[in-house]
Amino acid sequence: MKHFLITTALVLSPVVHVLGLSRPEADTLTARGATAYSTGDYTTALHLFDSVRTAYSSPALLFNIGNCHFKLNDIPHAILFYERALRLAPGDEDVKANLELARQNVVDRVNELPSFTLGSTWGRLRGGRDADQWARRSLWACLLFFALLTAGVLAGNRAIRRALFGAGALVLVATLIAVAFASFRHNEVSDDSEAIILAPKVDVRSEPRESTTVLFVLHKGTKVTVLQTDNGWSEVQLANGSVGWAPPSTLERI
Amino acid sequence: MNSAIHRWLTLPLVLFVGLSGRAQEIGFTAAVDRNSIAAGEYVKLTVTLTNSQEGFEAPSFGGLVVVQGPFESSSFNYVNGRMSSSVGRTWMLTATAPGKYTIGAAKARVGGGIIQTEPIVIEVSKGAARPNAPDAAQGQARDPNLFATISLSKNKAYVGEQVVATYMLYSRYANIELSKYDLPKMDGFWAEEIDLGDTNWEDQLQTVNGLQYRVAVLKRQVLFPQRSGKLRIAPVELSCVVNRSFFNRGSAVNTRSNAVELTAMALPPGPPAAFNGAVGELEMVVKTDRTEVKANEAIELTITYAGRGNLKLIEAPKLNFPSDLEAYDPKVTDKISVNASGMSGSRSFQYLLIPRHEGEFPLEPITFSYFDTRNGGYRTIQAEPVTFRIAPGDGGPVSAIQRPSKTDVEMLGKDIRYIRTGDLQLRTAGKHLFGSIPWFAGMGAPALAFVIFLGWRRKQERDHSDVTGSRRKQADRVARKRLSEAEQALRSSDRNAFYDALGKALHGYLADKFGLGPAQITDVIVRERFAAFTNGEVVAKDYLGLTTACDMARFAPVEDRPKQQIFDEAVALIGRIEQLVRA
Repeated sequence: MKHFLITTALVLSPVVHVLGLSRPEADTLTARGATAYSTGDYTTALHLFDSVRTAYSSPALLFNIGNCHFKLNDIPHAILFYERALRLAPGDEDVKANLELARQNVVDRVNELPSFTLGSTWGRLRGGRDADQWARRSLWACLLFFALLTAGVLAGNRAIRRALFGAGALVLVATLIAVAFASFRHNEVSDDSEAIILAPKVDVRSEPRESTTVLFVLHKGTKVTVLQTDNGWSEVQLANGSVGWAPPSTLERI
Repeated sequence: MNSAIHRWLTLPLVLFVGLSGRAQEIGFTAAVDRNSIAAGEYVKLTVTLTNSQEGFEAPSFGGLVVVQGPFESSSFNYVNGRMSSSVGRTWMLTATAPGKYTIGAAKARVGGGIIQTEPIVIEVSKGAARPNAPDAAQGQARDPNLFATISLSKNKAYVGEQVVATYMLYSRYANIELSKYDLPKMDGFWAEEIDLGDTNWEDQLQTVNGLQYRVAVLKRQVLFPQRSGKLRIAPVELSCVVNRSFFNRGSAVNTRSNAVELTAMALPPGPPAAFNGAVGELEMVVKTDRTEVKANEAIELTITYAGRGNLKLIEAPKLNFPSDLEAYDPKVTDKISVNASGMSGSRSFQYLLIPRHEGEFPLEPITFSYFDTRNGGYRTIQAEPVTFRIAPGDGGPVSAIQRPSKTDVEMLGKDIRYIRTGDLQLRTAGKHLFGSIPWFAGMGAPALAFVIFLGWRRKQERDHSDVTGSRRKQADRVARKRLSEAEQALRSSDRNAFYDALGKALHGYLADKFGLGPAQITDVIVRERFAAFTNGEVVAKDYLGLTTACDMARFAPVEDRPKQQIFDEAVALIGRIEQLVRA
């Protein structure tokens, strides 16, 4: 218990700038964006959606921006935003469908290692809820746990007390699971190691320097993992394990 | 083809002359027997006016000297009821000095107008006798008695516009067999041959620079330039055998035609979306045999492209039929003729449509775009929109429950899914509940509250802890300790100490057991306390009796019982009380 309190005291408050854009204003802008999209004016729609993105975020907003890019035939950016949306809402069918369609336009075929699937239940559990939902659950579970403990201490009858403590133990397990999930999803969402190639063609070299050996060539829309950066160059790893250095400003992190 | 030429060429020339009289056209020609001579040789100039009785003026001879003439001649033919006549004058001319001489135009007044002959250029070389025999011309490119030409119907054309190329053979030999000719390879063209049937000589002689030639059209082709730029058609190579007769094996003559060049102009940029390469002068007609049918009955939709142009390159239009309208691949019907004027006719696409469900099916407007060569621009024709009204199919009166046959939902296209509309559930960017201060506070607050609760509760317990309870528990132990002190006193025969310890043991035990102060051990209270237990009165009486005995023995040297007996009674009593309280 004390551990939490100490940690709370040590954690610095994250400073959030909303950049002078209030929530109703943002909603108005996105509504206008949706109208522009419905009339086929994708450029305006993209501009409107994008103006909100600096202050607010949501899977639906990222999905819409991805759609605008797709309609404007900017496939790499479409993939980038679909991936971002998918990271916030991993189970979203619409995003998955559109990402699938966008990926058909990617030139590079990298043999991805088969993703580890523990069945759809796990995916739904993990995916359907975002980190904040799990965090909220953990809060409620924690509250319930201590409520049960208190009730157990106060209970006069020995049998009732035992039942309350048993329930408390179960709720404690639930709390730990919720915290674990929240932490897991939080790490997943905060993980920016993956990136999308935006340049039409990228020579991936053996060293972070021009005129070194070209190991392989990547094309726009391909997903890579960034291992480290050096002087603007990024060491990228493909899904099949190949590693090399990509020049600056050829990719953007998801 | 060669055999055909052979057959015709072996006919006497006279026959052609005879045949030529069938027309009543007025003709006026000037002809020479050759147009290049050596100085001193003669040229025969003949001016002929046919089918006119008018006179004509002699041409100027341009420096040539008349040696003989003019000789007048006239002929009159009556063939198959057609009359023809001709009047001619012949001069024999010569030149003394080499150079170029031009025989001017002869003029004739016919019917109030004036007609003229073409001027003729005569080249006169130096006096040496020039080889003139056909045998010597073998292998030479230019034989004045035989040549071929390629002529195009136009020299500039758009890509895809049709141009007619005509290959002609000119000959002055009386007898000629065409043994071989190679048409040039077409580079940059799509060529369609015009079927001319057998090659034959034309009826009329043609005069080229004063020499009269028999002319045969070898071949005609309709050419469609496929790319822009200067497109060259290579010369035609011809091998002929001339003057073959029974007595003469004849001699081989080779000749080649001129090369021609066509300037193909690129189509203007920005073609309409429906443009698919058609060029020419075209029209489109869309016809349906009926627009109102019952379901499952066939409809015929015919799209006809007609006019002049590259009709054979027109492909079936891409039509987006409503998906419930079953459409079969179109039947293509060509009525295309390729003749000297080019390719013309029509191409039809006949679609068979079978509506499977009732309803209204508007057809997308059928458009056709082509490049119109008349005004050099694109033209788009849009057909009248067609709407099919489909009535329910024949099923008769409903005698049984009718179910429509199930069909799979057909995927017609692929596109991304639509954007999310409405509330996008925006959240402040970069702000997460997990790991934030509110979250830690929310997790810590219940724990803190619980710790505080536990602490408070412990303090309460300490304050209200049951002192009597602990005394009660310890009563027996304290009593035994005092009894053992009494026992020691008994052994050492210390009378006062014995009674003192025994009295304290009895008093202290009861005070501890019932949570009473030392002053509270009175007869009344003891009796009250013991009354709560069964047989309590007896125990109370024994207790009181024992304490009285103890008190008596302590303060008075009187002992009603021996000390050992009192001690045993006290031990037994405490055991009885202990039993009584536990029960």
